[in-house]
Amino acid sequence: MIDTTIRRLTIARLDNIRFSYDGGASWALDGVSLTIVEGERICLTGPNGSGKSTLARLIAGLAAPDSGTVTLLGRRVFDDAGPNADEYRQARRGIGAVFQNPEDQLVTTSLEDDVAFGPENLGLQRRLIGERIGGALVAVDLNDRRHADPTHFSGGQQQRAAIAGMLAMRPRLLVLDEPTAMLDEVSRAEVLEILDELQARGTTIVHVTHHTGDTVHADRVLRLEAGRVQADVPADRSDEASLSEGTTAQDSIAPVVASHAPHDSNAPQQPFAIVADHLAYGYQNDRQPVFTDVCLRIRQGETVALMGANGSGKSTLARLLCALARPAAGSIMVAGLPIAPAKPKRKQLTELRKRVGYVMQHPERQLFADTVADDVAYGPRNQGLSDDEVDQRVGEALRLLHIEHLADRSPFELSGGQQRLAAIAGIVASKPQVLVMDEPTASLDAAARSRIHDLVRALRAQGVTMLIITHDRAEAAMLADRVLDMNQLCRSNAASPSDSETTETTETTSVSAAKQHHSLLQRLDPRVKMVGFLIVMFSMFAVSNPMQLAAAALLTLAAILAARMNPLEVARTVHPILAMLVLMGLLNLFVVRTGTPLVELGPISITDDAVRFAILYTCRFALVIIQGALFLTTTGPTAITDAFASLLSPLGRLGLHTQELSLVMSLALRFIPTLTDEALAIRNAQAARGGSIETGSPSQKLRAMAAIIVPVLAGTMRHADNLALALDARCYEEGIHRTHWRQLAIRSHDIACIACVCGWLVVLVTL
Amino acid sequence: MSMFSHIHDYRYRHIRTVAPTAESGSDTTATTAATTPATTTQSGSHATGVADSGRWSTRRIAIYALFVALAMVTSFIEFPITPVAWLKYDPSGIVCLIAGFAFGPSAAAIVSVLGFVPHMFADPWGSLMAVLVALCLSVPAALIYRSHRTRKGAAAGILVGALLAIVAALLGNLVITPIYAHMSYAQVAAMILPILLPFNVAKMAIHAIITFLIYKPVSNLLAQRH
Repeated sequence: MIDTTIRRLTIARLDNIRFSYDGGASWALDGVSLTIVEGERICLTGPNGSGKSTLARLIAGLAAPDSGTVTLLGRRVFDDAGPNADEYRQARRGIGAVFQNPEDQLVTTSLEDDVAFGPENLGLQRRLIGERIGGALVAVDLNDRRHADPTHFSGGQQQRAAIAGMLAMRPRLLVLDEPTAMLDEVSRAEVLEILDELQARGTTIVHVTHHTGDTVHADRVLRLEAGRVQADVPADRSDEASLSEGTTAQDSIAPVVASHAPHDSNAPQQPFAIVADHLAYGYQNDRQPVFTDVCLRIRQGETVALMGANGSGKSTLARLLCALARPAAGSIMVAGLPIAPAKPKRKQLTELRKRVGYVMQHPERQLFADTVADDVAYGPRNQGLSDDEVDQRVGEALRLLHIEHLADRSPFELSGGQQRLAAIAGIVASKPQVLVMDEPTASLDAAARSRIHDLVRALRAQGVTMLIITHDRAEAAMLADRVLDMNQLCRSNAASPSDSETTETTETTSVSAAKQHHSLLQRLDPRVKMVGFLIVMFSMFAVSNPMQLAAAALLTLAAILAARMNPLEVARTVHPILAMLVLMGLLNLFVVRTGTPLVELGPISITDDAVRFAILYTCRFALVIIQGALFLTTTGPTAITDAFASLLSPLGRLGLHTQELSLVMSLALRFIPTLTDEALAIRNAQAARGGSIETGSPSQKLRAMAAIIVPVLAGTMRHADNLALALDARCYEEGIHRTHWRQLAIRSHDIACIACVCGWLVVLVTL
Repeated sequence: MSMFSHIHDYRYRHIRTVAPTAESGSDTTATTAATTPATTTQSGSHATGVADSGRWSTRRIAIYALFVALAMVTSFIEFPITPVAWLKYDPSGIVCLIAGFAFGPSAAAIVSVLGFVPHMFADPWGSLMAVLVALCLSVPAALIYRSHRTRKGAAAGILVGALLAIVAALLGNLVITPIYAHMSYAQVAAMILPILLPFNVAKMAIHAIITFLIYKPVSNLLAQRH
């Protein structure tokens, strides 16, 4: 029924929609009807599992329901006859979708290229794509960073980049599924501001959220519960709908505040459980340290909440305290054990793993075992406890989190909230004296959150010392004896968030400035460069006399100069494999038997031929390594992908899906850093439970490896799920005609490069 | 059992594959989906018929991409398992095996080939050899597992794959070692029994044991993707 006051165009109309994930055993959406008119801004709210994300996906045309009718942008995409693919395809070109995980929506490592991906898929002309990129980046206020790598952006900036990627396709309807759920307060405000502007420009917006603050500017707020629309009201009246949630939060604060008093008066007599003095930490290769002088003292039995903006170093501090990273300077004593500045001995480290528990961000990402009980048992088992003791610990931990009933289930079939509880049980089961938790309640709904709050209270009553990192001020005040801000901990030059923001921008401007002064090697057409380097590198192994070696060295030196790099710095790239080179040289020394003996030691003799071959083989391999390093440092992932795609394209005639293979390659290169970081985080988290691949018996090492590989595979598939949706949202489809924003052209210096490579081959054959 | 029980989402069908019978013939599914008009998509699949079915659905592209990335990442985690320093173990073979079991032989092939492309620019000949070994291990294993979707089938697949991979590695070493050291084929052949064979057997044994340790949890993981 269309309201008489609104005579605007209907953007989306859903009638009596049903949707089931389990073939009809339960309904994620059960009889939902909804009409959205042009220019409306609608918020979809409701508890986890209420079906709001599913509904958003249906509105975005990314999935079809089981029954009902769906009309999107005037096209009847789904009715009793089932989905109509052509209508879906057309409708989708006018619908944008943004999802919760900012990172998984980025398809490449240059912002400009990322934004161009959608328009390319729409087959727009190159000139038009340029206009679209500019317009979209201005709209999200990222135009000055168009050459930067979005995978290094903050979450808020990434989410703005994702919105830009959609705006470049000029959507009439924008569907956002919890776009601010993973962001801190500042980033959230940035994103909401952009939504306000889009609303003012007349874009229809559907926004899934569980932040009540987000609904302020909405025209309508739709509340879902158990797959049904429970309320559909104008925004100003939505407070009533969410009032019930507010009061429960209020209630739970009261008793805790009371329990604080006796504990606080005791606290001063307790010795310190955590003493950290003058800590400094900086990532390698980063000029700006994360922090330089952090001091922190926490008494036994104290519960301390740590707050601060993203990037202020909270998580780093947590890892330092758990001996999962080492500070550049300063001293740390945790649970009576010194862990810095002196490197802890293996025995101390084992003891530390027993006494200190570490809940990483999104601990559900470390689940690995066949059953929940098995997973929870991992820590106690690593402590070498007997089977009975392990069982007892597991039972206790599960009871503490009220998930005894999940013991025999696979952790992968649980809901997100249950997974979080199971993972935390796995850390609690080790009975730590000190527990460090990194955002344990982030992106959980109220029910799961209150379970974790109960756990904190129970552990506090047991006298466990806790450091809890959180973005939620109310939660911090409710749970902790003390609330600290990361900035207060930094004694000198407090790295305030605004500081880190500015350093970030100056860095990127210097990068973009450097881009304007490309070296000759960087300006080469990537196809020419890739083929040229590969020919030279493969043929390097044919070098068999000193003259050829000299020519090869000259060629490499020329390439280094063309890359405007310092030859000594380049030589250092050989460093990591120096040992291997030496070994190769030695091998040659001993296996070559021809020539006159120079040294004779019993059965071993070294001949002059052997020395010659040792030098020749080692040098030519070193040159290969240098050439490879030169190629990789002067060629970005996007250029590699362009070359790969272009070189592969002739194979398309043989029926090979070259466009798809190139996209696979491009996405793979983009996701390497993401997967590496995640694998390291999981390895740390399992190490904190006493599972190390470096120590222990072979069977322990193998089990430790399995405990890392399974969660990494789970993460891989989670990213793939999200990425597939992001590709759908950008209208990518097998075999479509795509245009290309980036153009490749052979120019004079490319021809010079080809001549050099040909010259080299001639030298190789004739000398 | 409801009427929907036998129908799974096309997009997810490929993913539910380690579980026995769930994907008997993923490739036939894929080809039919690609050749028949998308409008005939079965009800209950939630597919819109756009980019969410067929051999190169966005979902498959994303899965391939992430597995290739994972193979690349793991291929750089090298550590020695024998006293011979230049023969190092890396877990990328496990990623190729799992890709093959879960998503079929073509996935195994794509991951095995593309996963070693970065190594092309560090050790060109060595990377070709790594691709060859990974293909010999994962593709036959995936082919066998495709028709025997049980733990036994997986074991047989890994065994056959490992044997082929060992043979490929030994032959490859015969060809490639003289590029790095001035050795005759006979000299390299003399290294097979004391050095090359034990290393390759140990490497495949680790692959096999870990793949077996993670078989059950990974099956659960795959079965629970919606």
